Amino acid sequence: MRDKYEPMVNTLNKYLDEILPNYWYNIVPDLPKPLPPPIDPPENSSRIELLQQILPKEILKQQFTIDRFVKIPDEVKEKYGVLGRPTPLYRAKALERFLDTPATIYFKFEGALPTGSHKVNTAVPQVFYAHTEGVDHVTTETGAGQWGAAVALAAALYGVKATVFMVKASYDQKPGRRALMEFYGAEVVASPSKLTKIGVEIVERNPRHPGSLGIAISEAIEYALENGYRYVMGSVLDVVLMHQSVIGLETMKQLELIGEEPDVLVACVGGGSNFGGFVYPFIGLKSSKKMEFVAAASAEVPKFSKGWYKYDYPDTAGLLPLLKMITLGKDFVPPPIYSGGLRYHGLAPSLSILIAEGIVKWVEYKESDILEAARIFAKTQGIVPAPESAHAIKAVIDIALQAKKNSEKKVIVFNLSGHGLLDIENYRSMMLRYQKQ
Amino acid sequence: MKLLTAYFTLGYPSPSMFTKLLKAAEDSGVDIVELGIPPRFAKYDGPLIRRSYEHVSRLGMDHWQLLKEARRSISIPIVVLTYLEEWVKNFTSFVNKVHEIGVDSILLPDLLIDYVDVFEEYFENAKRVGLTLFTSPSMPDKLIMRVSSLSKLFLYYGIRPTTGVPIPVDPTTLVRRIRSLVKNKLIVGFGLSLNDIADVLKAGADGIAVGSVLIQAINDGGVESVTKLLKELRGVIDGV
Repeated sequence: MRDKYEPMVNTLNKYLDEILPNYWYNIVPDLPKPLPPPIDPPENSSRIELLQQILPKEILKQQFTIDRFVKIPDEVKEKYGVLGRPTPLYRAKALERFLDTPATIYFKFEGALPTGSHKVNTAVPQVFYAHTEGVDHVTTETGAGQWGAAVALAAALYGVKATVFMVKASYDQKPGRRALMEFYGAEVVASPSKLTKIGVEIVERNPRHPGSLGIAISEAIEYALENGYRYVMGSVLDVVLMHQSVIGLETMKQLELIGEEPDVLVACVGGGSNFGGFVYPFIGLKSSKKMEFVAAASAEVPKFSKGWYKYDYPDTAGLLPLLKMITLGKDFVPPPIYSGGLRYHGLAPSLSILIAEGIVKWVEYKESDILEAARIFAKTQGIVPAPESAHAIKAVIDIALQAKKNSEKKVIVFNLSGHGLLDIENYRSMMLRYQKQ
Repeated sequence: MKLLTAYFTLGYPSPSMFTKLLKAAEDSGVDIVELGIPPRFAKYDGPLIRRSYEHVSRLGMDHWQLLKEARRSISIPIVVLTYLEEWVKNFTSFVNKVHEIGVDSILLPDLLIDYVDVFEEYFENAKRVGLTLFTSPSMPDKLIMRVSSLSKLFLYYGIRPTTGVPIPVDPTTLVRRIRSLVKNKLIVGFGLSLNDIADVLKAGADGIAVGSVLIQAINDGGVESVTKLLKELRGVIDGV
């Protein structure tokens, strides 16, 4: 029988098949309100029409054929297995002890995947569909490099070429991730670049522009359009969040096997893909128990506290249709902060509704809080978390300490969306900065 | 019998042609016509219908006069299509005018998207005429279930994000998802191809709606092309 205190929850082989889901879950039919459709701007040509030349056909089909459950193709399921799905669910016993909390803390470890984050869960099906449609070259953007690395790996698996537009600030600061993408065989270009019109325009205005995800997305799309390639998107789109639902569906099963039910679910938020993937199955499919859902974001990209819920472009050049979402504006250029994955101006439309309706709560943390939380986690559980995921850890620590105050035996489950071994230089520079102060 | 619903932009391409088109539609086996009043921003419409709006707006026509003529020239049900956003400030007087003309129902594509919290209020205010509701795959099951029986004449289900753009979708999956939720006649539209038509009817739809293809037919060959297309569509849906 399962030992409740066994730290790793899914080690038994006989459960593996049961844990890895056969279907992705799409929350749209279960949202509290209609998802406002993407729209075209009043003037200019149809961006919705243009999508047909940007995305792989099957991705577009999945985005707009809204159905609660979508079968995961056998070829994709097989690759999920190759890459290490299901990922482990651990109990953070040492963190619990350190915090001296009556709460029980579990974490889903997406950092166990080969590129060190959850991103490959959607990179694989997107590149798979592109490949089966005869596309031999994909483009994408990347901030910190997590998404770019996942696409580089997926492209390598299917023998497809990949060009990754990497936000310049990260390109300069993260040679490790750049090397990783190149190691898998991808071409990595600093964005803004000279390969696209939008890139050239921006560099002409400001040769030292640090770049942004919005700009890098526009470049990747323009480059795909110009060359007849296809573009793969790392977050925001419903279809991306749907692919990521494997995280939450596995977690659900893993908790079920040990007879636990969560009281609180926590994940960090950039565009919303790891949050949606981890939390949505619990929001949409488990209505028996009252649960709390917490989205942890960066105070340096304050979309929750300072953003608006309105129609905005997902990319700076406005090549994609307008989406109704919580946004800081498509021209928002975030400070070149530590956690590149959270430096996005917008938020997935489905998550925007759940925030606006108060179903999902949010918190924003600043860099110094994150550094401390990351170090606590590394020193107790041993894992260096990605700075993005450290936002979730900070929220978990706060909730666990609150539970201690109230003597509550809460069950807290969070998604450790990535490890931070390739971010270690970032942590080092943070340590130097905060030691000085 | 399956229903054929045809959309025309009010006064497009010219007032006289418009009336001829309506008669041709009635004679070709159309069951219901939808007539679109050009809005300032047709946010859920595709390029063809948007251009038809721009065209008639430039000509500067009297919508009410055109609606009256439409009512006089055909006897099949007329549904007025317009965005609530346009009339939100004087909705009651809008409903009254439509009622006087003898239009059968009003369809507001933005009602359940942008005004979902207060849609019942507008429902009440539109009582004299009645509302045909527009739904889409991005709406929650619970909402579709709740509203379907309230909809006058039929429930409209737009299976693509915008009109007239052939975004790839799986019509069978989309219709199957909501068929069991809808206690009303279910009419499916938005960018339907001939293959889509067969699929949606087989999946349980009670009829189809066409719009952008008619605008295209008007542009290509006027009344003659429209008649030919509608007769062909009638044949297809009767054959399924």
